[in-house]
Amino acid sequence: MKKVCIAERMVIVFSWAAGLLLVSSVLLIIGYLVWNGHESITLSLLFGEASPLGALLLKERVFDGLFPALAGTVVLVTLSIAWAIPVGIATGIYLAEYAGVFSRTALNLVFDILSGMPSIVVGLFGFSLTVFLHRHYSDAIKPCILVSSLALSFLVLPYIIRTTQTALEGIPRETRLTALALGATRLQNIALVLLPRSFSGIMSGVILAIGRCAEDTAVIMLTGAVASAGLPRSLLSPYEALPFYIYYISSQYSDPDELSRGYGAAIILVLLCALLFLLALGIRKGVSHVAFRRP
Amino acid sequence: MKKTALVRVALSLAALVLSALPVFSGELDSFKNERGELKISGGTAHIPVMKEAAQKIMTVNPEIQISIAGGGSGVGIKQVGEGLVNIGNSGRKPTGDEIARYQLRVYQWAVDGVAPVVNPKNRVTKLTKGQLAEVFSGKIDNWKQLGGTDRRINLYTRDEASGTREVFWEKGLGKGQISSAANVVVSNGAMKSAVAKDPYGIGYVSVGHIDRTVSAVSLDGVTPMIRTVQDGSYGISRGLYSNTRGEPSGITKKFIDYLRTSAGKAIIRKHGFIPVR
Amino acid sequence: MKKIRELLAERFFLLSALASSSITLVILAFMVYMGLPAMRGGGLLQLLFTPWDPFQGSYGILPMIVTTAAISLLSVAFSLPLSLGSSFLVTVIAPQGVGGALRRLIQLMTGIPTVIYGFVGIFLLVPVLRELFQYGSGMCILAASLMLGVMISPTMTLFFCDSFDRIPRSYLDAADALGASRVQKLVHVMLPSARSGMLMGVILALGRAVGDTLIALMIAGNSIRMPGSVLDSARTLTAHIALVIAADYESPEFRSIFTCGVVLYLFTMLVTVAVRAWGRTGGEQR
Repeated sequence: MKKVCIAERMVIVFSWAAGLLLVSSVLLIIGYLVWNGHESITLSLLFGEASPLGALLLKERVFDGLFPALAGTVVLVTLSIAWAIPVGIATGIYLAEYAGVFSRTALNLVFDILSGMPSIVVGLFGFSLTVFLHRHYSDAIKPCILVSSLALSFLVLPYIIRTTQTALEGIPRETRLTALALGATRLQNIALVLLPRSFSGIMSGVILAIGRCAEDTAVIMLTGAVASAGLPRSLLSPYEALPFYIYYISSQYSDPDELSRGYGAAIILVLLCALLFLLALGIRKGVSHVAFRRP
Repeated sequence: MKKTALVRVALSLAALVLSALPVFSGELDSFKNERGELKISGGTAHIPVMKEAAQKIMTVNPEIQISIAGGGSGVGIKQVGEGLVNIGNSGRKPTGDEIARYQLRVYQWAVDGVAPVVNPKNRVTKLTKGQLAEVFSGKIDNWKQLGGTDRRINLYTRDEASGTREVFWEKGLGKGQISSAANVVVSNGAMKSAVAKDPYGIGYVSVGHIDRTVSAVSLDGVTPMIRTVQDGSYGISRGLYSNTRGEPSGITKKFIDYLRTSAGKAIIRKHGFIPVR
Repeated sequence: MKKIRELLAERFFLLSALASSSITLVILAFMVYMGLPAMRGGGLLQLLFTPWDPFQGSYGILPMIVTTAAISLLSVAFSLPLSLGSSFLVTVIAPQGVGGALRRLIQLMTGIPTVIYGFVGIFLLVPVLRELFQYGSGMCILAASLMLGVMISPTMTLFFCDSFDRIPRSYLDAADALGASRVQKLVHVMLPSARSGMLMGVILALGRAVGDTLIALMIAGNSIRMPGSVLDSARTLTAHIALVIAADYESPEFRSIFTCGVVLYLFTMLVTVAVRAWGRTGGEQR
C-alpha cells in the first residue's frame, strides 16, 4: 500500500517539475530578450534617424531602423496569404463537399506530406525553380518578394485547406440539409449556409497561416530576402524581412547598437506572433492540432 | 554698421554654401537624373562600404533603390554571371575561366589583407606561419602548446564560396589543410562576432574588419594592419573587386565610378581598406 | 444558367484541389530531376556514404545525415519527459483552473518563431555550455538539441493533452467507480489507452525537429566533420542546404544538396505515412 503512495507522489512531483521546467525555460528565453532589448524599443528602433511621419508617408528613407524589414514582412505576408486563401479554401470545399472517398484519402495524404515538409526544402525548390526559369525562359525572373511569397503560400496552403475542410465537415447534418430541402442548389448551400457557418474555423486557419508566414526564415533566406534593400518597390524586388534581419544580426552585428536593434527586432517578432496566435485562439478554441503540423 | 555685418554674414554664408555644394554632392551629381534598381551581392568584406555608398546615393536620389546581399565571393561572381544581380563583389580576382565564361568586367577598388584573429582575452598574439598552418590543420589543438591557457583551440573557417577563405588558404596556410572540425561561418562579419564571443577561438577576417572586439595575430613578427598591407611587409593581401557582366552602364557604371571618386575613396578608407589609385 | 454556374464552381474547386496537390508532387519531381546527374549510377550511394570535402572532390552528405539524426533524436529525448510531465500536469494533476491557464500558456508558446530560439541560443546557451564542459566553442549538437527540445515540447505536450482528452468518458468513469486515485487513473487507464495517439505526437515532433533549419544553422557550429560526441560542432541536412545553396549552379556541390532535399522529402513522407497508418490502427483499438 505504501509503495503505491510513493509511486503516486513521484508521478505528481515529476509532473510539476516537468511543467515548471518547460514554462520556466520558455519564460527564460522571453525574459532574456526583454531584459536585453527593452531599452531599444523606441521610435528610433523603427525609423532610425528619419522622422516617423516622413517614413510612413514614404517621403523619407529609413537606414538604421527596422521599418523596411517590418514593411517587407507585412507585404510578404499579405501576398502569400492572398495567393493561398482562394486556392486553399476552394480545395477545402472540394475535399469536404465534392470529393469521393478515394480521392479524399489520396488528397489528404498529399496535403499531410506538404504540411510536414521542411521549409528549407520548399525554399530550395523555389530558389532552384527561379534560377531554372531565369536561364531557360526570361532574364526578368530572379529571386524576389514574389517568388518568396509564392513559396510561402505553398507552405501554408495545408493549414487553410485543413481548417476549411474540418470546419465544413463539422457542420451538423440538419443544417447541411435544410437549405437543400428548401430547394437551394449545392453551390448556393455552400456559399450561403455552409461557408458563413464555418467562417470562424477558416479564419483561425488563416491567422495561423499569417503567423507561419511572418516567422519563417528558411524559405525567404533562399528566395529573395537580403541584408539591405529599403522598402520593397515592386513585386520583383529583393526585400528585407524581420526574421531574416534577426538571423542576420545574430551572426554579423558589427557594433552594440546593431545588436540591440537585433534584440528589438526579436521582441517585435515575438509580440507579433503572440498577438496573431491569441487572435486565432480567441476566434476558435482547439486549434492546437493544426498548430502542431508546423514543420 | 549693423547692416554691413548682416550683409557680411549673408555673403559668407552664401560663399560657404556655394563652396560646400560641390564637395558634398559633386560626386553624386551623376546620379541626379537616374532611377531604377541596382542589385549587389557577393563578397562580405565589401558590405560596409557598399552599404554606406548606397545610403549616400539613395539619400541624394530617392528614385534609386540599391539592395545588398552577402553570400561570399563565389556567389557574387556566379550571380552576376547568371544575370541575377548587377554587381557581383569578390574578395579574390575572378579566375580566367570565370572571366571568359561570363564576359566579366573586373573593377578593383581597394587593397585589403586577410588576418588571423583571436579573442582579445587570448594571450597568444604572435605566431609563425608554420604554427598557423599547424593550428588550422588541427595538429596543434591546445592553446597551451602556443603558450596560452590549457584549452582546446576552437577553429573558425568560412564556407566554400568565400574569397577570404581562398586567399587565406593560399597565402596564409600555403595551401595547407583546414581541419574539418572547424566551425563554419558565413561572412566576415559573422567571423568577427564569433571570435569576439569565443575566448578560445581563432579565425581569419578581412583586415578592414578588424576592430577592438578581436585582436589580430602577428605572423612572423609582422602585425596585419593597413600600413603593413600597404607597404607589402604583410604578405596575405588581396584586392577587393566589383564585377559586372559585360560593359556596365547606367547606375551600375555610375556606382562603380563613384567608388573611385574622392568621396568614394573616403568611404573605403573609413572602413579600413586602402583605395586603389 | 444556374447549372452552368454550378458546374463552373465545381470545376474551380476541383482545379484548385488538383493544383494544390500537384505542388507536393512537383517539388519531389523537381528535386529528383535536379539531383539526378549526381545520383545516377553508383552516385547515390557515394553521396550517401562518403564525407563532404569539396576540395578533394568528395560531396557526400553522410555526416549531415548522422548529425540530423543525432540532433533530432536527442531533442525528442529531452522533450519527451518534459512534455509527458507537463501533459499530466495540465490534464490531471493541476487544479482545474491552473491546468486550463497552463494549457493556454503552452498554446501560446507554440507560436514563438524558431529564429528566436536560435538567437537566444547564441547569446545565452552557447557560452554556458562552453564554460560548463570546458570543451569546444559551445556551438555543438547538444546546444542545438536542447533548444530544439524546448521548441518542440509545447506542441508535443498539447498533442498528448489532446490524446488524453479523446479517451472515452466511460473508461474514466469506470476507473472512478473502482475508487482509483487520480494518478492510478492516469497510469493504468489513460496512458495505455492514449498510447497510439501519443506515439503519433512523438513521430510528428521528430519530423519537426528534422525539418527545422534555423536552430541548427545558428548554434550547432556547422563543421563538416562526422561528429564524435554531442559536444562537437556539426552540420544538419537543412543547415547544409542553407550553406551551400549559393554555390555554382552546375557544380557537384549544388547538385548534391538536392540529394539532401530528396532525403528530407522522403523522411517527411515516411513520417506522414507512419502517422496515418498508426492513426488507423489506433482508431480500431478504441
